[in-house]
Amino acid sequence: MATTADNFAPAAEATHDDHHDHKPSFFARWFMSTNHKDIGSLYLMFAIVAGIIGGAMSGVMRLELAEPGIQYLWWFAGSDPADIAAAGHMWNVFITGHGLIMVFFMVMPAMIGGFGNWFVPLMIGAPDMAFPRMNNISFWLTVVGFLSLLFSLFVPGNSIGNGAGVGWTVYAPLSTTGAPGPAVDFAIFSLHLAGAGSILGATNFITTIFNMRAPGMTLHKMPLFVWSVLVTAFLLLLALPVLAAAITMLLTDRNFGTTFFDPAGGGDPVLYQHLFWFFGHPEVYIMILPGFGMISQIIATFSRKPVFGYLGMAYAMVAIGVVGFIVWAHHMYTVGLDVNTKMYFTAATMVIAVPTGVKIFSWIATMWGGSMEFKSPMVWALGFIFLFTVGGVTGVVLANGGIDDNLHDTYYVVAHFHYVLSMGAVFSMFAGFYYWFPKMSGRMHSELLSHLHFWVFFVGVNVIFFPQHFLGMNGMPRRYPDYPEAFAFWNQVSSFGYVIMAASMLIFFANLAYAFLAGKKAANNPWGEGATTLEWTLTSPPPYHQFETLPVIEDHHDYHDHRPVTA
Amino acid sequence: MVAATFSSDTDRKNAKTGALAIIGALAMLGMGYAAVPLYDLFCRVTGFGGTTQVATEAQANAAASFAATRDISIRFDASLSRDMPWEFAPTQSTDTVRIGQRDIATYIAKNESSEPITGTATFNVEPWQAGVYFHKIQCFCFTEQTLQPGEEVTMPVLYYIDPAILEDDTIADVEQITLSYTFHRAKEPVASALERSNSSSDQAS
Amino acid sequence: MRHAFKRFHLGIFAAIAALFAFAAPQAVAAQGLDRTEVLNEAAEEIEALTPGAPTDGTNVEAGAGEAAGGYVPMAPTPGKGMPTSYETDPLASMTFQDQYSQDGQYALWMHDTILLPVIVAISVFVLLLLLYVMVKFNRRSNPNPSRTTHNTAIEVIWTVVPVIILVVIAVPSITLLARQYEEPPEEAITVKAVGYQWYWGYEYPDHDVEIISNMLSQEEAVASGEGEQFQMAVDNRMVVPAGVPIRLQTTAADVIHAFAIPSLWFKQDAVPGRLNERMLTIDEPGVYYGQCSELCGALHGFMPITVEALPMEEFEAWVVEQGGTIPGAEVAADAEATEGEAAA
Repeated sequence: MATTADNFAPAAEATHDDHHDHKPSFFARWFMSTNHKDIGSLYLMFAIVAGIIGGAMSGVMRLELAEPGIQYLWWFAGSDPADIAAAGHMWNVFITGHGLIMVFFMVMPAMIGGFGNWFVPLMIGAPDMAFPRMNNISFWLTVVGFLSLLFSLFVPGNSIGNGAGVGWTVYAPLSTTGAPGPAVDFAIFSLHLAGAGSILGATNFITTIFNMRAPGMTLHKMPLFVWSVLVTAFLLLLALPVLAAAITMLLTDRNFGTTFFDPAGGGDPVLYQHLFWFFGHPEVYIMILPGFGMISQIIATFSRKPVFGYLGMAYAMVAIGVVGFIVWAHHMYTVGLDVNTKMYFTAATMVIAVPTGVKIFSWIATMWGGSMEFKSPMVWALGFIFLFTVGGVTGVVLANGGIDDNLHDTYYVVAHFHYVLSMGAVFSMFAGFYYWFPKMSGRMHSELLSHLHFWVFFVGVNVIFFPQHFLGMNGMPRRYPDYPEAFAFWNQVSSFGYVIMAASMLIFFANLAYAFLAGKKAANNPWGEGATTLEWTLTSPPPYHQFETLPVIEDHHDYHDHRPVTA
Repeated sequence: MVAATFSSDTDRKNAKTGALAIIGALAMLGMGYAAVPLYDLFCRVTGFGGTTQVATEAQANAAASFAATRDISIRFDASLSRDMPWEFAPTQSTDTVRIGQRDIATYIAKNESSEPITGTATFNVEPWQAGVYFHKIQCFCFTEQTLQPGEEVTMPVLYYIDPAILEDDTIADVEQITLSYTFHRAKEPVASALERSNSSSDQAS
Repeated sequence: MRHAFKRFHLGIFAAIAALFAFAAPQAVAAQGLDRTEVLNEAAEEIEALTPGAPTDGTNVEAGAGEAAGGYVPMAPTPGKGMPTSYETDPLASMTFQDQYSQDGQYALWMHDTILLPVIVAISVFVLLLLLYVMVKFNRRSNPNPSRTTHNTAIEVIWTVVPVIILVVIAVPSITLLARQYEEPPEEAITVKAVGYQWYWGYEYPDHDVEIISNMLSQEEAVASGEGEQFQMAVDNRMVVPAGVPIRLQTTAADVIHAFAIPSLWFKQDAVPGRLNERMLTIDEPGVYYGQCSELCGALHGFMPITVEALPMEEFEAWVVEQGGTIPGAEVAADAEATEGEAAA
């Protein structure tokens, strides 16, 4: 087995600057990469591309919903404007594609593949990941998975049109007998590939974090971002195989005559939902936990204060991860559960609010008494805390099985999970991006554009998603391409918000262009004395191989101050 | 600063941790598949999802000796999957039975198509809590039913309500139990068909 | 306003069209097609796509015989049993529909007096804390950060207080669930809603009535009466008695659908191969609209549910008009007879 041990020899000099970095040729470096930083960059670029495609899909959706009636879908379906079924199917393909892309090919690759790969080894003082070649396989499996999903758009999904129109949840029997075309097979296969990539990645992170920490970097001294990735990796490792099993059974039900979920052969479609959500609920924490970790780093850095209640923060994430495995049926409140089951899942779901509250308040306590500086990562982190709270409290509403009877599968749910993901996860990703961009690229982005990006994005996403609470409470079901006139106003507002959000993304790309073309060179530590984790002791960008001599973390350092004494 | 590097020792540790993690993932994969029989077993044992119980003659006789003085109303429901060109209905939509005593209900099915069709019935009771007390001694749902074109058959269900239901507080306010069947066009699953025919020959004798 | 939005639509449209060059370019002329026309054709298509859906159901014919004093579909009351538009009432368009079932009123009360104040308070509290620390502890006002990382008292408080809040929420929540799962009495009116791709069937097993319910096209919705909304109106409504318990059962014949009525706080999935049951009591006569709430394929958005609650006598008259029977003494006699048979 190849490990990084081959790649570096004990270096004589104590400096971290590697003056004889030898980088491989372009093809070898970017296509056969085994370097965690390069693979992290690949993941980030991939996530941006996937995000553009997934975001464009939501653009089509908001465009279509801007007014009652079906105006544009037929154009994408390539059908007759009067063909409402083709338009409806096209709609389902868009919602499915948007959901799958954003979950599996945007948030997960960016959070875990991108930031995780880049900064877990740097923060624990490791030269690379434990299994660098497996790391490469993980990335390319994700890419091929994405291609499989894109390919599914062009092959028949059912008798009505191309693409898989089954929702990201792929519920049987709509996904089995209800969608006989090969598109669903390709979509499922894409999940297999992305899932396999993620499981390998999780294995890699667990091994790296357990075995590759620099001397003195005990588990209880690890930066919270590393903790968050560790918990996430365990969630991935335990949840994704269940999804793999469930969707493999879907495939055999579809193609080989098995009846795991088909009542005609003694199967039960509800079992698929149990399996899916046993994966699906941990999945939502997989998407947000690394964000929690990044926010902790950023808040501490820009408050110039160590994280408040470090151990509580770390174990709150562990608690969230554990409880996340026993609340899955709150996604299935209306499927026909008995009263005791619903009461249990109501209570268990509400319990999650406690460790989540601990995190929110600990972040605020970290800032309390601090010396806050409102640099770009910090404003995104502050936005995150507020918007994640708003998304979290609507989750408490939805946790009540009796209340959910009205809100289930309405736009209220859409608003809720976009507040925690599109605002929670995405805000933390932008915060992390601006935090580490100087480190990754060696260039400073524009603070002005970053702030502008924040404010326009903040207004945009709130205008998109806040009115969706109203629509949901007033009764608008989700996954609808059209609606009665009564829902017109708030839908218009929501679509208007999309335009604002889209404009903010232009600012983001302008900022990137500025940084690469004219950005100032970044210092080793551009954020000042609050930035105490190990990555800031390296050059920006870090050398191709770092820590050839391992840093040593001394005992007397308090939590969160991880700098080696002599650095 | 102490100079330290990773050695081949770390390699071995990594291989071990990585292998453990992969084993963990494979175990969860196995759990995913095991969920199918386990869920089935769980439903059968607990009546979860309104799964009814299967009883032998001996059990039925034992229950009858405890026959209570209370009656309960049973509703019979029939549904068809969309690809089933049959007619399917209970001969009567409700019946009142003495708790503990066995009773027979009949359904009528007719093949309206011009080809022989094999159907298989799924079933559950509402409310769910009643599933564990609803015992079938004999049921057309234990086996597949093949009807020739135009053929009409009367199919029996022999069942009783377990007197233990009277001691269950959670179900005290249930006044009517609905027994529901849905006929689907039979698929020939490899393993489960075998299993079903085995269990039905055991039970239906 | 409309025009401004339209321009925006075209803007995004152009931007996204470039990204989605895979869709076959279409004759742009078709874009000018009148919306009503499109929707009417669409509704016809739904009918064409749903074989076995007799669109000229028995009670449509019955409707022709209204002159004889029979059942006339009730005109919906504006704002009752349906969503409210912003133009009609901005506040009503931002919250739940008025509730017409006891459980619904309890749930709405719980949301409005417990959940909503609590979640607003928490959000505002977090926002105020954030603003406070931003003002008080920024680099200018507090150049020397403290090194405090622990305070056991505060950590206990912010663990215990949320627990207390959750318990306060849990009590009515559990009560609500218990109420929703009250068992229907034996004599409850049984209605079975069956989901099909893409329409609903309503069966009344005790009344020998079976109804197929399809969405009305826009033209039909407008023509069928005052206040009917397109995408909510159907040809044949699910008619039930008001004020008495209904044993509402759901199942589906193909894929999973969900029977949902927001103004009755009622939602129950229709799962193929299994029957779900819940009691529903509608407080007063009226027309209550709902829409399929589980993704069921291409026309998921076009299989609405309309429930019409009537006084008992009118409901029974409706049953008779549908060719059904009112279960009475002779049914009880039948039951006795079979009882004797089984015993023998």
